This record gives sequence, structure tokens and C-alpha cells, in this order.
Amino acid sequence: MATPITIGAAGGEYMEAVVVTKWHVRRGARVCAGDLLAEVETAKAVTEVESPCDGVLGEICAGEGDEIAVDAPLGFLLADGEDDVAAEVDAPGSTPGPPPAARPAPAADPGARGGGQPGRVVASPLARRRAGKAGLDLRHLAGSGPGGRIKRRDVEAALARGPTGEGGALPLMVLHGFAADATIWSALAAELGRGRRLIRPDLLGHGAAAPAGGGFEDVLAPVLKALDAVEAPRVHLVGHSLGGAVALALAGRRPARVASLTLIAPAGLGAEIDGATIDGICRATRPESLLPWLRRLVSDPQRIGDDYARAAMAGRGEAVRGAQAALADRLFPDGTQAVDLRSALADCALPLRLIWGRDDAILPWRQALAAPGHAALNLLPGVGHMPHVEAPELVARLLRETLAAAEAMGEATLEAEAAQWLTG
Amino acid sequence: MATIRYAEALNLALREEMARDDTVFVFGEDVATYGGVFKVTQGLRDAYGDRVRDTPISEQTLTAMAVTAAMTGTRPVLEIMYADFLPLSLDALVNQASIYHYIWNEQVTMPFVLRTQGGGGVGTGAQHAKSLDAMVAHIPGLKVVAPVTPADARALLKAAIRDPHPVIFLEHKLLYNLRGEVDEADEAPAEIGRARVARAGRDVTILATSRMVLEAQKAAEELAGEGVSAEVIDLRSLRPLDLDAITASVARTNHAVVVNEGWRFCGYTAELAATIMDHAFDDLDAPVERVAARDMPIPYAETLEREVIPDSADIAAAARRALA
Repeated sequence: MATPITIGAAGGEYMEAVVVTKWHVRRGARVCAGDLLAEVETAKAVTEVESPCDGVLGEICAGEGDEIAVDAPLGFLLADGEDDVAAEVDAPGSTPGPPPAARPAPAADPGARGGGQPGRVVASPLARRRAGKAGLDLRHLAGSGPGGRIKRRDVEAALARGPTGEGGALPLMVLHGFAADATIWSALAAELGRGRRLIRPDLLGHGAAAPAGGGFEDVLAPVLKALDAVEAPRVHLVGHSLGGAVALALAGRRPARVASLTLIAPAGLGAEIDGATIDGICRATRPESLLPWLRRLVSDPQRIGDDYARAAMAGRGEAVRGAQAALADRLFPDGTQAVDLRSALADCALPLRLIWGRDDAILPWRQALAAPGHAALNLLPGVGHMPHVEAPELVARLLRETLAAAEAMGEATLEAEAAQWLTG
Repeated sequence: MATIRYAEALNLALREEMARDDTVFVFGEDVATYGGVFKVTQGLRDAYGDRVRDTPISEQTLTAMAVTAAMTGTRPVLEIMYADFLPLSLDALVNQASIYHYIWNEQVTMPFVLRTQGGGGVGTGAQHAKSLDAMVAHIPGLKVVAPVTPADARALLKAAIRDPHPVIFLEHKLLYNLRGEVDEADEAPAEIGRARVARAGRDVTILATSRMVLEAQKAAEELAGEGVSAEVIDLRSLRPLDLDAITASVARTNHAVVVNEGWRFCGYTAELAATIMDHAFDDLDAPVERVAARDMPIPYAETLEREVIPDSADIAAAARRALA
């Protein structure tokens, strides 16, 4: 574990930042506790910073001449044999998160106020709120306000144009997994929402959806209602883990409303599940106890750092934990999957794709073999239970292929096929 | 119902409150024998004798006298002839009137009213045309009201006189001759802190104070011709603010224009804009538009003064920007 090098009390009273004047050791150099590492200048004096322990100097966060906050690390010391990269993994900002949006920075316009951050969507607060409620991704709207600001009228026009948006693209409904929430799709949203409406509900007991008890049918019902409320003729469905089971059940109930079905490490395809991780996540009340279980979700545990665990824990208040524990007790009693959707999968005639990580420690990828012959099956090497987080670009590519293929078939083809099924 | 002038409505309120409570007294420069330079105190000397007193020109002393009189059991109504001279009153307001109830654990009350008039529009120059609303509204412990109709002038002055806390009563030199209906039989005081919807509308909320309410109404009329439905809210009380009225209106219209005749920088409109963002951010479909005086002395030449002080055209333009 890397040890941060901090200034400690050297900043003195009233100081918020110091300037690094000199580094006495280079990256990779071996140091002992008490060795002089660097000099920093405060308002009153130049102060020496000593090594807090034995080790090897790893990443340097503030070079000579840089100003740095008194509570920020100057750099990191690595223990013997520790990989230099590890220090960077633990540094804030390197945890898996949404990639920067691909949208080009808006051209400078005297009508725009603020919005100077490249890639940030300039929209009024009201437009953001309306779009958020409707599940509309603002990145794909053109703003008609000053400087291209997206206003309420733009959101309402987009909704009125119909969920198909421009180019006849059908909306995409994405369903998150157990103990996650709709924000888990952020990494994919930029790729997939382009030109189409993205519907990202929180499942019951998760995220913004009010915590409530119940079983699989109670999780399914509000999503079914949301699907029925969509004005477009059909919707592409994507679900991960528990959301995959929900997506599969939805497709079984409303096959005519579903354009394609993509299941990412879905639940419901076998009895086996890693109950210990489910229990551990439900039980955790602190980032430290949540972290090891979150790390089991991914192939490379270094992807999940302390910051990620802290952020995840912040969204897991007592009510949410209680609701999810109750839900887990119904869905996964005694570490076993109680919901069995294998026959629904076998009967599914829709364009179908299953994506599974070969290192999935929660749901074994062999459960994917229950898929019918027409399904595409992608087993991703070096990926755990979170393909959409661990390999967002690949998953986005696979989804684009599924969506494009399903839409290329066109209404006419689908109708002809449906007629064949009915007569044949 | 009677149609009377704004100045007459204030005079009526003073007469009613002096008749009702013999601890109420009026003092200031030229308020007694001359009847006030804007005729607000006309005839009071004849009716109430020594309870209406002329004083030398010394606003600092007068305000400190009002503080002391209020502390010792009377209800003084002090007239400061021009709001431009409020800086002379500031020490008594900031270091005495607004804090004594606090530092002496409410052993004293401070029931006094400081009436003054500000604003421009008639070429009275840089020393007699300012709106220093923000300067007094900034001070915790003071209430600040600015009625624009004769009926509100009467009811709010009565409320101010009866209030146990110091109230700054802001009038405007261009309002004194404004006529309006007043129900003489209704002697009830107003409730300080309640705004008034001067004109109902759907598309944009215009929050205005004092004479700017009239300019906002003109702007709303102009906007109506363009198919824009503007709601004009007369704040009446600058402190405390009627937050509910503001947020309810912005929640419906999603656009806000804030108007005050004082300077823009650190001005009253800045407070209004920040308040809307604090309490109604997610209801906004555009940035709050501010309409205020230019940050410079008020020119004496009326053509230049018109360029500095906001008017209905500025307000209508701001509403169009908000709705762009």
C-alpha cells in the first residue's frame, strides 16, 4: 500500500497551500524514515519534509515550483516490491468512472454564460430537471437558447417528436444490477444515447426509486409500466445482472414491444450465485467493509479504489441497505437464485445477445449456455461481473451492432416474420 | 372608497396612528410648520401640536434621537428628507437601532420608523436622486418596506408605526402625486413581508420594487403586445422578503427578471437573483435577468439621467433576453 507524503503541520497556521521549492530524492530512490525528501515554502519559512517511513519514492504529485494544498499528498512512498503503478491506482480520480464526454466544446458565444468546461452540456436547470425525469440524454439535443443553451422547449420538443428521435432510432432502456443504480450506465450512455432516447430507470429499492420490500414481481411491475408508457413502437432492452433478469422477463411479457434484448451477466439462468458477495454488500456500513466485496465484482480488483468505495457507500443509506437486504432475501435466499428464467430465454425469438465476463465471480458465465441458437454470445476475457464498467468500449460496440442489426431488419421484415410465425 | 394621492395616504396613516396612540410623534426637517417638502405631514402640527416637531439639519443626531426615544417608550416617526442622506443615519442604524434588542437580550424594543424618499427621474442630480435600498436592506434587525400604491402606503406606514422593530420606510419622489383608491373605513395595518401580484402572467416573473413596479407594469403591457404574458410582483417589503410569493411565481413562469432603481453592483437585484437561485434553481429555464441603475453617479441632465436609471424599455428588453 502506498504511503502518502504530506506536509502535515509544516504548513503552519492560516496556510492553505505551500510551494514545493526542491525535491531531494528522485522517483525510484530508496529512502529511510526521517530522510529529507523535499523542501516547501510557506508564508513564513522554507520547511523540510521528511520521509514518514522506509520505502521507495513513487509518484510525485507536486513538482518543484508547484503550489499544493497542505492536506494534499506531495507524492507517494512505495513498500518494497510494490508496483509503482499501484500508487497511481490509489490516487483520486483513477477509479473507474465515466469517460469524458465525446461532445466537442461549444463554440464561444457571447450569449452563453459559464459553460466554459469543455464537453459540458449547457442547459438550463429546468431543462436538466425535465430531461432527467424523462430519461432523455441532453448530450444529444441541440439547444435553441443563447449560445446553444438547451432550454425546456428543446427538451419538450424532443419528447414531442417522439421517443424515436431523429433517424427513426428506437429508444434504449437500460436496467442496472442489484445494489447499483442508473448512474452505472454513465460510461455507456455517451456512446449509446447518441441520436436515441435513453431510458434509465432505477429498480425498486435502488437509487432514486423509493426503498420498498417485495420480490421479483414487485421489481418487474414498475419497469413494465415504464415500458408500456413509452410511445415508440418498440424499445431496445439492455439489462445487467438482476436488471438482465428483469429485461428477460419484460421481453417475455411484451415481445412485440422489444426490438432487441441484450443481457449482460444476467441473473435468473441458474441456481448458482456468489451469495457471500450479495450478503457482504448488503451488510457493509462503511467503505472499508464494502471495498472487498466491490472488488469481487471485477476481474482486476485494483480498478476499485477507496474513493470508489466511499462514493458507493455514500449512496447506501440505512433505508437503501434494508430494502436491498430484504430484496436479496427474496431473490437470492441462502445464496441461491430463486428466480429461474431459463425457459423464457429458451423461448425468446427476439434479436438476442448475451455478454459475460470469463472472470465473473458472482454469476458463472457457463449459465450463458442456456441461450437459444440464434443468440450471439460474447464471453469477454479478463472481465468480471461488470463488463459495461470494465470494458465499456467493447460493450458499446457490441450493443451498437445489436441495435443496428435489429433496426436494419426494419418494420416490414419484422412484420413479415411475425406473420410467418403466426401462420406457420 | 376614495381616490387620494400617495402623499395624502401617508398623511392619513400618520393622523390615524397619532390619534390611536399618543406615544406616536413626528419629527424631522421642515415637517411641522412647512408640512414637509413633499406635503406628507401637512396639517399635522395644527392637529397634534408639539407631537410634530421641526429640527435642525443633522440626520446623524436625528436618527440617534429616534433610537433613544424609541427605547424610552415612545414611537417616533422620523423623516429624512432625501434617502441620499441615509449614510449620515447609518451609525445609529447599524450600531444602535438594529442591535440593541439583541445585545440587551430584548430588554428594549425599538419601535421607530424612518421615513425617507429616494430615486430619480426629475433631474435632481447626484446628491438628491439615489436609491440606497440595498444599503439599508443589508442590515439584520431592520425591516425595509417600499409601497407603491396609496393604499399600501397607508397600510404599511400604519404597520411600520406599530411594529416593535425599526422600520425603514422608503418612498419615491415620483410617487407622491400618484392617485389610487383607498378604503378610508379600513384602518387595518398591512402585514410587513407580503408581496403583491400587481399583474398576473404566465411566461416571465418580473420582481420589482417601489416606482419600478410601475415601469414593470408598463413593460408587461408592451410585452403583452408581443404575446408574452409577464407577471409583475410588487415586493412591497424588501426585508423581510416574501420568499413564498417569489418561488411560487418562478415555479410557474420559469423565467425571472429582477428590477430595482439602485445601483447594480452589490445591489438589491443581486440579492434577489441570488435568492431565486438559492430557492428555485431547478425551476429556472434561463439565467435571472437584472435591471438596475448603471454604476455611476446619477446625472443632473435629464437626458443622461434617463440613460442611467432603468425604465420600462430596459425591463421589457430583459424579459426578452430571459425568454430568448
